[in-house]
Amino acid sequence: MSKPALLSLHQALRKSFHSLESNQREWRSVLAECSPLMESLGNLAEQWRALSNVQISNTPLRDFPDLQERLTFKLLQATDTVLLKVNEKMSSLQSVRDSVSNQVSAVLQLYEQNSDSLDLLTVTERSATAPSVSDMLGWLQDAERHYRQQFLRRKTLLLTLRAEDLSLLEDAPKRWKSMESSSAEDRITNTLCKVSFFVESQ
Amino acid sequence: MEGVSDDITVTSSNRKSTAVTGTARKIKDNAADWHNLILRWEKLNNEGFTAAGNIINIRQTHSQRDQLLLADESSSSSSSSTAPSQQTGGAAELQEECSKLKDVVDKMVVVVTKMERLVTSQRGIQELEQFQFGPEGRKFPLFHTWNTKQFDDLCRVLLDAFCQELKLKQMILQEVAHTATSDLCMVYLSCWLHLPYIPPQTRLNLEALLLETGHRLL
Repeated sequence: MSKPALLSLHQALRKSFHSLESNQREWRSVLAECSPLMESLGNLAEQWRALSNVQISNTPLRDFPDLQERLTFKLLQATDTVLLKVNEKMSSLQSVRDSVSNQVSAVLQLYEQNSDSLDLLTVTERSATAPSVSDMLGWLQDAERHYRQQFLRRKTLLLTLRAEDLSLLEDAPKRWKSMESSSAEDRITNTLCKVSFFVESQ
Repeated sequence: MEGVSDDITVTSSNRKSTAVTGTARKIKDNAADWHNLILRWEKLNNEGFTAAGNIINIRQTHSQRDQLLLADESSSSSSSSTAPSQQTGGAAELQEECSKLKDVVDKMVVVVTKMERLVTSQRGIQELEQFQFGPEGRKFPLFHTWNTKQFDDLCRVLLDAFCQELKLKQMILQEVAHTATSDLCMVYLSCWLHLPYIPPQTRLNLEALLLETGHRLL
């Protein structure tokens, strides 16, 4: 039997699930902070749209010098400020993604190093308190993929945004919201539930 | 406390005549007043934004409701009995928000009037200095590096910005409850919120003023 290899793999898995739990919390909290920012972006897009639809010279505002330019400048400034804040949040999301990726690749590497001494039976064996190694590795990989894809999609959306492109700005909040994947998030929560006995045991 | 201005040149010129200390005191107090007035303005701006937003929402709700009522009335006559009470309810709300907005603008007029007084006071200091020291003013700065004229110029720039902004707000007050198109309403709200005539340097200028006069430590 391959007791030491299995033990060290189990240790590594426990560590990964601990890390996954705190990463999941961090991810959710950062995303929650993004919501009001995306709402602000939508608001600003509405203001841009309204300004572009109005001919200032046909309104009572015509007597105010340079009003169009000044308001445009202020809107640009406000938009840039929001985009900057969202990008800061993206850095936090990137950290979560990297942390999960690193953890999972470390565990997988350990498995591969010991794969000779871990036969199929050991790897698929499950008990009342411990899921099988193969299941746990699979779940970790699923979580890693989820955060990797989520980050990529959201980052891509933000990279395409320009203050000058109004239609992109207007669509952004809706598209951001549509990227929410509650089913994938729930799967991660379920995973953490399933491994809770395993993680607590020593 | 003029603890920041403890470089020798200032204190030795302070000792020469008590009137110099008085001037520095006045300028420093003016700087504090500017800071407080601008803070008050920002608070009023937020209150006004809420009121203006409410006015626009009430009008939009009512114009939608009126359109629905018109559609209803063409198909049945029973709905017309509920229309007047809904309309008077809306009108009262609208009146209240308009009063709030007027109140905000009136308070802003008070703020700008006080700003004008600060500029006049600064002007007086400038003239006194020219009288005491001749056209070039005093030899050593009262605080760190600024000569008295720089205070004067800065205060005028601030005043001009707020005066122009106030005119814009007064116009918005007049128009916002009567404007038909929602796009123009949105533009009025944007103008109110984003203060097009108060450039970003204003905040920097105020900070510079506070630094120079020792309200903020270097």
